[in-house]
Amino acid sequence: MAIMNKKSKVSDEIPSASMADIAFLLLIFFLVTTVFPRDSGLRVVLPEEAEEVEVSQRNVLHLQVQPSGVVVVRYGDSEDEQQMTPSQIESVWRSEVAQNPNLIAAVKTHPDAAHEHMISVLDALQLAGAERISLQLLEET
Amino acid sequence: MGMKDGGFERKTKASSTIPSSSMADIAFLLLIFFMVTTVFQNERERPIQWPSAAATEQIDEKRDNILYVWLERNGDIWINDRLVPMQDVAAVVGPQWMQSGQRLIISLRADALVPYRFVDLVQEQLKRSGAVYVVFATDLERRMTVER
Repeated sequence: MAIMNKKSKVSDEIPSASMADIAFLLLIFFLVTTVFPRDSGLRVVLPEEAEEVEVSQRNVLHLQVQPSGVVVVRYGDSEDEQQMTPSQIESVWRSEVAQNPNLIAAVKTHPDAAHEHMISVLDALQLAGAERISLQLLEET
Repeated sequence: MGMKDGGFERKTKASSTIPSSSMADIAFLLLIFFMVTTVFQNERERPIQWPSAAATEQIDEKRDNILYVWLERNGDIWINDRLVPMQDVAAVVGPQWMQSGQRLIISLRADALVPYRFVDLVQEQLKRSGAVYVVFATDLERRMTVER
């Protein structure tokens, strides 16, 4: 067969001279398209729906976040309230939880308060190592 | 030290060109690095002002198991590039929660200045859908005072 005996003049090797160029092209493509994910934040676990737990008032620290960012702190069933900034809460929580390890932080945020005010309170509580945190909406009276 | 003639006449034996034979190898190394680390963004970011918190922690979870819920300042909710009405959030999140084997983490990316009433409504919807693992997305706040 004439075709079988024909000597091919086409090189049977893949040209490697342009390999570096191809690599650089792909490299630049991935350099440009790469977005490093930034998934960070404050973790919370929401309660399951209709999971109502009765808690003794003695074990609750009420933190009412006002629209101005001021936090009204009231301990359990007592009447006296204290106004403070979110940055003060960290030390308050540390001293209160030392007296009562079962303490629960009830963060009640006013509907008109900015999200960042609640975040700063949650931030202070998490910095202080609080684990039992309840996030609620402050009922307007 | 052979510093006669101020060292100017000295013939140097070291090549003055950067060796280019390994350039392709370097390019391939970088290429493989970026190929491995690239995650294609499948949704567009919404313009929000990020709240900041000092207790911010990294979320170690596969990208597939994180669902972004964007909450804008006016109360609009965006999930996967779609504007979702507040009462439909549970219906959108619920199937994804089941699909992920109840491991789904909700990254709630709420604007710093959104009124809390909207954040509370979203939380109610998430509770209804069953997705209980929530992360309030924040930027790490670098405090000027460092505890020592």
